[in-house]
Amino acid sequence: MATERSTEAERRSGVYASAVRWLENLSETAFAYLLLAPAFLLLAVIAFWPLLSTFRMSLFADSISGAAQLGEFVGLENYVNLLTGQLDTVALPQPFFDLSAPFQSALIVTFIFTIVSVFFETIIGLGQALVLDQKFRGRRWVRVAIIIPWAVPIVIQGMMFYLLFRSGIGPGVAVVEALGGSTSPLVNSAEALPIIILADVWKTTAFMALLILAGLQSVDRSLYDVAKVAGATKWQQFKTITFPLVLPTVLVAMLFRTIAAMRIYGLIETTASCTTVPSLSCLVVTTFSTRRYGTASAVAFVTAAIIGIVVSIYIVRYWQGSQGAA
Amino acid sequence: MAGAQASETSDDDAGPFTRWVQKSIRNPDRTYRAMFYVVTIFFLITTLFPFYWLLVLALTPTDLVDQAGLLPAGFNPEAFITIFEQLPFHVYLFNSFVIALGTTAVVLVLASLVGYVFGRLEFPGRGILMILVLAISYFPPAAFLLPLFRLFTGNVEILGLSSPFVFNSPIGIGLPLSALFMPLSIFILTTFYGQIPDGLEDAARVEGTTRLGALVRVIIPLSAPGVATAGVLTFINVYSEFFFSYLMTDGQAQNWGPLVWGILGYQTQYAASYNLMAAASIIGVLPVAILVVIAQERIVSGLTSGALKE
Repeated sequence: MATERSTEAERRSGVYASAVRWLENLSETAFAYLLLAPAFLLLAVIAFWPLLSTFRMSLFADSISGAAQLGEFVGLENYVNLLTGQLDTVALPQPFFDLSAPFQSALIVTFIFTIVSVFFETIIGLGQALVLDQKFRGRRWVRVAIIIPWAVPIVIQGMMFYLLFRSGIGPGVAVVEALGGSTSPLVNSAEALPIIILADVWKTTAFMALLILAGLQSVDRSLYDVAKVAGATKWQQFKTITFPLVLPTVLVAMLFRTIAAMRIYGLIETTASCTTVPSLSCLVVTTFSTRRYGTASAVAFVTAAIIGIVVSIYIVRYWQGSQGAA
Repeated sequence: MAGAQASETSDDDAGPFTRWVQKSIRNPDRTYRAMFYVVTIFFLITTLFPFYWLLVLALTPTDLVDQAGLLPAGFNPEAFITIFEQLPFHVYLFNSFVIALGTTAVVLVLASLVGYVFGRLEFPGRGILMILVLAISYFPPAAFLLPLFRLFTGNVEILGLSSPFVFNSPIGIGLPLSALFMPLSIFILTTFYGQIPDGLEDAARVEGTTRLGALVRVIIPLSAPGVATAGVLTFINVYSEFFFSYLMTDGQAQNWGPLVWGILGYQTQYAASYNLMAAASIIGVLPVAILVVIAQERIVSGLTSGALKE
C-alpha cells in the first residue's frame, strides 16, 4: 500500500516535473497563447460562436409552423425588409421605425431613451463628481449614498419605479397628473418612456460621477493656485481649467453609457413592459418568442450594427479631439 | 408650504438675512459653501427617496395602501416574514448567491491569466486580441440569446453528440454572464498586473520559481487590491443582471431561478400585495448595499481604472 502510494507520487511528480520543464521552455509567444486559451475557449463558445450563428440565422426565412426552426435561405432579405419597413405590420409585434407612431417604434424609442438619459446622466454626474471632489465631513457616507443606486439589481430598480408610478398607489402619479398627464402613466407609451429615462438616470448617474471624479482628481492642483493668483472666479476656473481637462474622461464615460443604454431591456420589462415601451432589445426578445427566428436574428444584428456606428462616431470624435489638443 | 415658510422667515428675520447676504457678497466662499450644501442635500434626497418609498410601502398593510403618503399608513412589519412564506424567497436569494459566487470565481481565474498575458508579456497579436475582447461588449445580449438557448437546451450537435442540457441550472446562467463580464475584469487586472515592476518577477524567477509560480506567488498577491476590486465588481454585476438571469431558466425556485424571478413572482402572482413587492425588494437589495458600504474604495478604484484604461 505504502509503496504503491509512493510510486504514484513519484510518477505524478515525474509528470509534473516534465510539464514544468515543457512550460519553462516555451517561447514567450507560445506561453502567452497557452494562458489565453481557457478564457478565449469560453469566449469562443459563449460569445463568438453564438454571434456567428445568429448572423447565419438572420439569412434564413422564418418558419412559424412546422418542425423546422428556419425556412429557406433568403440572403439579406430580412435586413432589406426590416429597413424598408415591410416587416412592421407582418412579423414584428411593434414597428421598427415608424414616424407616425414614434413612441411605439423600437428605433425611435431607443434613440430618444439613449440621448436623453445619457445627456442628463452626464450633467448630473458632473455635478455629483464636483460635490465628491470637495473635502467635507461625512464625505464617505455621501459617496456611499451616491454609489448605492448603481449597485441595485435591475429588477429591483424596475420594481421601485413601478411602485412609484403605479396608478392608485405611487406618489409619482400625482406629479405626472400635475404636469398634465394621465392617471396611469405606466401603460401610456409617451408617459412611460420619461419614467424609464428617470429610472435609468437615477441608477446609472453614479457610474458617470465616479468616472468623472477620477478625471477631476487627476487635474494638477497647482493650476488652481495660479488661477487664484490671477484673480479668476470659481466659474472661470471651472470653464478654463476643470472642464477642458476632464472633457476626454467625460467622453469616454458617455461612450460606455451609450453602449449600455442602447441595450436597455430589463428595466422596461419590470417597470412598464415591452409592449408599452418597445426598445430594440425588447423587439428581439418578443419576436424570438413568436418563433420568428430569422427576423429576430436580423433585428439583433441591426441593433449591434447601430451600436457599432455610434461607437465609431465617438471614437473618431475622440481621436480628432486628441489630435487637436496635441 | 416650504416656500411660505421661507418667505415668512425672511420677513421676520430681515435683519440677519440681509446681514447674511451682505457677508456673502463680501466673502463669495460663503455662498459657494451654502450652494454646495444645498446641492449635496438635493443629491442625497433624490438618490435615497426610492429606497424610503419601498420602506413606506413594505410597512403599510395592503388594505390601507391608498392612504400611504410620506409616512406609512399603519405599521405592519409582517411583510418581511410573509415574503419567505408565499414564495421560497430565501431559495431565490441563495440561487443568486451561488450563481454570483461561482461566476466571480471563474471570471477571476480566467481573467487573471489573460490580465497577466496582456499586462506583462509582449507577443504578436496582442492588440487584435484585446480589441476582440472589447468588441463583445458592443453586442446586445439579445444577439447571443438564440444560439445559447439552443445550445443549453441540448439542441446543438457537436461531433454527433447533443450538447448537455444546462438550462435551469447555475451553469446556464453563469456561463453567459462569465463571458459578458469578463472583459471588465480583464482590463482591471491588466492594469494592476502591468504595474508590478519587472524586477520583482525576475527575482522570483532567479530564485527558481516557475513562470506560473511567479504569477500565483508574486504578481497576484502584490495586486490583491486589484483582484478584490475585480471580484467585487463582478459579484455586483452578476447579482444585479437581468437579461440572462431572466431568460436562461424557467423561473422555478427549485430550477435555480435567481432573484429576478423571486421579485417578479410577487409582481405577477401577488399583484395587489404591494407590501410584499416592496419588502422583497428591500431584502434583495441588502446584500449589495452592505457590499457597497464595505467595499466602496474598491468599487471606486475599479470603475475608474478598468473603464478608463482601454
